[in-house]
Amino acid sequence: MTSSLKLFAVAAVFGGAVAGRAEVTFYQARIAPTLDRHCVACHGADKQKARLRLDTLEQIRRGSETGAVLKDGDLKASELFRRITLPKDHEDVMPSDGKPLLTAAEIKNIELWIAGGASATKGMADFPDAPAITRASIPVIPLAPDWRPRAAEIAALEKSLGIRLVPRSQVPTDGLVVRTASSPGRCDDAVLEKLAPVSGLIVEAELARTKITDAGLATLAGWENLRLLDLTRTAVTSRGLAAVAQSRRLEALNLTDTGIDDAGAAELKKIPTLQRVWWFGTKVTPVETPKPVKAAHE
Amino acid sequence: MTNDPLSTPDQHLCSDHGGENPTVWDLPQVPLGLKREWLELETRRHFLGKGVKALGWAGLATLLGRSAPTAFANASAGGAGPALFPNYAPKAKRAIYLFMAGSPSQFETWDYKPALARMFDQDLPESVRGGQTLTGMTASQVRFPIAPSLYKFAQHGKSGHWVSELFPYTAKVADELCVLKSLHTEAINHEPAILQITTGNMFPGRPSLGAWLSYGLGAMNEELPTFVVMTSKMPHRTNVQALSNRLWSSGFLSPEHAAVALRAGSDPVLHLNNPTGIGGDVRRAMIDGVNDLNRQLFERVGDPEINARISQYEMAFRMQTSVPELADFSNEPQSTWDLYGPKAKEPGTFAYNCLMARRLAERGVRFTQVFLRSWDQHSNLPVNIKLMAEDSDRPTYALLTDLKRRGLLDDTLVVWGGEFGRTCYSQGTLRPDNYGRDHHPRCFSMWMAGGGVKPGISYGETDDFSYNIARDPVHIRDLHATMLHLFGIDHSKLTYKHLGLDQKLTGVLPSQVIHDILA
Repeated sequence: MTSSLKLFAVAAVFGGAVAGRAEVTFYQARIAPTLDRHCVACHGADKQKARLRLDTLEQIRRGSETGAVLKDGDLKASELFRRITLPKDHEDVMPSDGKPLLTAAEIKNIELWIAGGASATKGMADFPDAPAITRASIPVIPLAPDWRPRAAEIAALEKSLGIRLVPRSQVPTDGLVVRTASSPGRCDDAVLEKLAPVSGLIVEAELARTKITDAGLATLAGWENLRLLDLTRTAVTSRGLAAVAQSRRLEALNLTDTGIDDAGAAELKKIPTLQRVWWFGTKVTPVETPKPVKAAHE
Repeated sequence: MTNDPLSTPDQHLCSDHGGENPTVWDLPQVPLGLKREWLELETRRHFLGKGVKALGWAGLATLLGRSAPTAFANASAGGAGPALFPNYAPKAKRAIYLFMAGSPSQFETWDYKPALARMFDQDLPESVRGGQTLTGMTASQVRFPIAPSLYKFAQHGKSGHWVSELFPYTAKVADELCVLKSLHTEAINHEPAILQITTGNMFPGRPSLGAWLSYGLGAMNEELPTFVVMTSKMPHRTNVQALSNRLWSSGFLSPEHAAVALRAGSDPVLHLNNPTGIGGDVRRAMIDGVNDLNRQLFERVGDPEINARISQYEMAFRMQTSVPELADFSNEPQSTWDLYGPKAKEPGTFAYNCLMARRLAERGVRFTQVFLRSWDQHSNLPVNIKLMAEDSDRPTYALLTDLKRRGLLDDTLVVWGGEFGRTCYSQGTLRPDNYGRDHHPRCFSMWMAGGGVKPGISYGETDDFSYNIARDPVHIRDLHATMLHLFGIDHSKLTYKHLGLDQKLTGVLPSQVIHDILA
């Protein structure tokens, strides 16, 4: 009897909230995703700081170890609302520890929802004044100078060197990728030298399986905007990495199946911006992929 | 009668018809706008026909080969050029899609439903089913008894993903996975469902995801196809669905965007090797001769399809060198075999194909789709799903681990999943140790890893019966929009004009990128 009652309850709870069958509720569309984004990492199934969970409406109503966090229709008495609207440097502000605060639109949605009775069933149409929650668009950070004025020169280099210089995206300051996958055998140290005139535009160098040696790495050290360098299965050694260590912007370096050893790995510690490095198939100990050296741009 | 195009007396001469048939222009029921479009097309063909003489073959080849900066420059100068992608810097440069054809049950794989254990053989509440029309395979069942998973689950990794005991290897890389539990589709049978998830549409004839990527982004490695498909040997054969090249076709896009299907064994591409006694120089001369003929035809009629044919001959010739190197696993170190296991040495197994997928990814192939069939367990599910999981588990784990240690996982998107879900209730007789599950389109699970997807999370929830979606539904359109987004493509901009419409992978119904799963 109990279990069939439970069954019925489960069915009733989900009955109104099923995709394709009923309208999505305001709580589902606006409130739950906002709480998920900002709160549930610490107040959810995995972690329950202050014994508070915000991952379901039922849990929200249960409150924390110090009592209720939500009072239907009463913003002032709702601790949840007070915490998310405190100033950034306030001791009690949520999310805590300097994590990004809720945006004005997210707060407004929660405000309207609580003021409207913190309903589980009201639909989007019940909150005509709720502002849309848009994600802050990622600001365009120029990674390299605009390549377009150099288009003719780039095309000529592609043709003469047998490599590709591919824009990373339509954003002209996203830089170029040096792409050699079609014929890695044609790319050697001399080719890298010939790229000097456009080296400042290059953000990624895909040089896996090419004929690059340590001498080529010295050339790469001068590529000021290089962020990603793939040297998989090339003949480079630890000796050459001393030059790469002078790189000012390198974030990712792939040294899989190369001749480097522990001495080379030590050189890499000198690159303050390096976040990801791989040296599987080398003599470096430990062979496990190392942890990010430093999250430079997080 | 007068509307019958074949009886129209006014013959409009046209470049590619030679005047023997009426054209769109002759059809009174065709709106004027479309007729103008036809005229413009015709003009373009005439231009190309003449232009090729002025530009010379090499110039045209460069245009078609879309050397990227030149193409971008053309477009930014307002000139004609191919569609321009990526719109924003991509997270994924390539993808490997492990397609579990036939559809694995979510109950035994990725959607843990502990509450069902206490409901063995109880009737599925009608309120859950909600009057849903069932397939003919179970519609006539008197009862819909709940069948809990016979397999146990445990939490793994820092992510705490609940992983089925059927996937002990994949469990080791749980923290790499982004498990999507709220996929849904309209299709309830295999062919339309599999078409929808591979091409975005239940009807045949649309370009598949890999073809769209090839069309939008072009090749990274000109020596290999941009889109490769492999089918795998099955550990058992029950309810095996046919796979056809409809699933990896270029549809209305130019034929060079279709996948090349790699076969198992020493001859991965059919008819690629020269016959005995025919040397490379003879083959080259033959291709040059055919290309010359095709070029003459192109100069006369200007049909771009002819160029597609020429480029395919050239690709085949290049593959005569690149494919044997690709398929030669002799340079793989022992660590590879330790990881993928002994089956990887047997061509055509899923393990072999996963290793091949890694080799393709290393060489810059954009999109590799590996099919593993026979997940369609209407009956005897506990036995057969175990066989399938055993076949899929270790190679999948090996692939993720291998990509990760080689620094490829960050920009290679890996996807694992089928075409729909399966029912909570048993199809046929429910026994304590045996049951079956019917097709279920309302919810199913997949996972993604790498390629800019947030690792170690799950997204979307189903109800306690994994029958309906409780929150954050993900339609196949949303999945596609999200995958394209990871490749730096705005799905609403990747279009191709066909049948008078700007056709898109995601179609005309609303679709959204699932931002919450992006790293």
